[in-house]
Amino acid sequence: MISESSSPAVIALSGLTLRRGTRTVLADLTLQVAAGEIYALLGGNGAGKSTTLSVLLGFLRPDGGTVTVAGTDPVTAPDAARRQIAFLPESVALYDQLSAYENIAYFMALTGHEPTRGAMDGALDAAGLQAEARTRRVGGYSKGMRQKVAIAMAVLRDVPVLLLDEPTSGLDPRATADFNALLGRLKARGTAILMVTHDLLGAADCADRIGFLAEGRIVDEVRPADGIDVLALHHRYGEAAAA
Amino acid sequence: MGPGVIGLWRHELRLFLRQPMALPLLLLVVLLSAGSVWAGLAEVAHQREVIARIQPQQAADVAAVAASAAADGDPGNAAYYTHHVTWDPPSDLAFIALGQRDVAPFVLRVRALALEGQINESETYNAELALPGRFDWAFVLTYLAPLFAIALLHDLVASEREAGRLALLGAMARSRRGLWARRALLRSGLLFAALTLPLIVGGLIANSGWALLGVIGLAAAYLAFWTLACLAAAWLRLGSVSAAAALAAVWLIVTLVLPGLALVAINAAIPVRQGVELTLAQREAVHGGWDKPKPATMAAFFRAEPAWRNTAPVRGGFHWKWYYAFQHLGDLSVAEPVRAYRAGLERRDALTRQVGYVLPPVGLQLALHRLARTDLQAQLAYQDRIRAYHAQLRRFYYGYLFTDRPFQAADFARAPRWPEPPPQP
Repeated sequence: MISESSSPAVIALSGLTLRRGTRTVLADLTLQVAAGEIYALLGGNGAGKSTTLSVLLGFLRPDGGTVTVAGTDPVTAPDAARRQIAFLPESVALYDQLSAYENIAYFMALTGHEPTRGAMDGALDAAGLQAEARTRRVGGYSKGMRQKVAIAMAVLRDVPVLLLDEPTSGLDPRATADFNALLGRLKARGTAILMVTHDLLGAADCADRIGFLAEGRIVDEVRPADGIDVLALHHRYGEAAAA
Repeated sequence: MGPGVIGLWRHELRLFLRQPMALPLLLLVVLLSAGSVWAGLAEVAHQREVIARIQPQQAADVAAVAASAAADGDPGNAAYYTHHVTWDPPSDLAFIALGQRDVAPFVLRVRALALEGQINESETYNAELALPGRFDWAFVLTYLAPLFAIALLHDLVASEREAGRLALLGAMARSRRGLWARRALLRSGLLFAALTLPLIVGGLIANSGWALLGVIGLAAAYLAFWTLACLAAAWLRLGSVSAAAALAAVWLIVTLVLPGLALVAINAAIPVRQGVELTLAQREAVHGGWDKPKPATMAAFFRAEPAWRNTAPVRGGFHWKWYYAFQHLGDLSVAEPVRAYRAGLERRDALTRQVGYVLPPVGLQLALHRLARTDLQAQLAYQDRIRAYHAQLRRFYYGYLFTDRPFQAADFARAPRWPEPPPQP
């Protein structure tokens, strides 16, 4: 039921277990994402989606199993692993007192990069943020505009792994379509993309594989390219969430 | 191409300075620091000016005594009416911490009479300043700087968590520890600069020299303590409001409550008589001298001052030899309480130093006052110099009194002079 990509895995979780107190959050979770692949992880609240991202980012230490990100173990070398990852949180919070350019410059400086204004414009163009908004302080931005700034940062990172936490929540259909198109371009660039989402339609639209997470393990997996219809997908998601 | 270390600090600086309260807060610190330095410099200049101004007045006073009271050549009159000025000039660092100079005299005019009363009579000088203390740089650093450190650093991590940026920052920073260390260093460094820049200017004006480096080092260590306290609040994952409340409580306890309790405990553990009690005891001993038989008084005096034993005996009614003898015996009668008083003060001081090892604000104050030479040790050292000078004065006048030599106008110039040069105002 759980398939593997034919290409070498850039993100690899194997037998991952994580407990918090008496509760098992991740239970023998195994998952691989290859370069140029988009993997959507679907699951209900508390299924372990965001926890999985936290383990990949080195924020949480698992109790068992192995995890590698572009060949680096985030458990033993979290800083090195994070240098391979661009991360887009569900709710993008930026520094309200800085402009889009200044926010990007600041966050990129944290990663050790100093992009030129031209490179920032290219990334913001790709993310779809209007040119006239870029010098304004982001305190007046909508959620979608902030999301676009964060996407621009992810584009600029040019790293092998992109982790997305509910990336299209709060975006309007047009912005969602633009975002999915952008993901397609990053995929074509060879980026391994792991997204956790509730958005079935969005996942079906852009993901190569969709894994259903329940009680800390993947209980089902589908390939939208195999021609599964959305209604059936909705059913399966509902079952997985109920499980 | 990477931003480099300087680029990262530049980004952090811009981010910090764009915060609405950052610049006003730092400006307020600069103003408070500059104001305290100015107040300290003004007070030191005033004290130097007082010491300088008293020199010509002293000369005029001696000339007046020479022209009137001592015109008959009686050394007793000359000794009785002539005041001799002593002074304790402020150090070049005194402007940072005025300490005991507020409540203890820095100028004292003494006569060849009983001394202890003259020293301790001045204890109540400027007593209204003893409780609140002066607004000097030591006050700003000890009591106010921690509040600014708390204001700038209490929400170092909590503000990011509460704004929802923590995950993004954590994911993007090459080193999370490096990020927080850089931010803590930047904020405490700016606070340190705002505090010490006016100090350095004041040090240049006061010509404080390298000793100022010691003060700057103490300030850095003290701010490091409060920075670490703020980082501890971050490490405990306290929210910004909880962290601010907890750190304010720590400030209250460490800078006010515990030092206050320690002071009460030390004072209770080491009871010390008031200086004014010594004055009263000495006065009673001196006044009692009028009623004692002269031979007994003189015999006691000669035991203390055997050099004058073989001089002409005192006969008849009043004689200055007898008068100065019972004046000196008045001092000797309180010698033991004076020693106990001083020992008590020194024991209290030593215990306070022990407390200073545990409570950084107390330790800081003691160290600053020591560097500025405005502490109890400096005050007692001044008293010691006065006692030594007074002994010289007594023996100078005894040389005339006990050998029945007349005291001429020219002899006033031969009187011992306070050994220290007056400061330039």
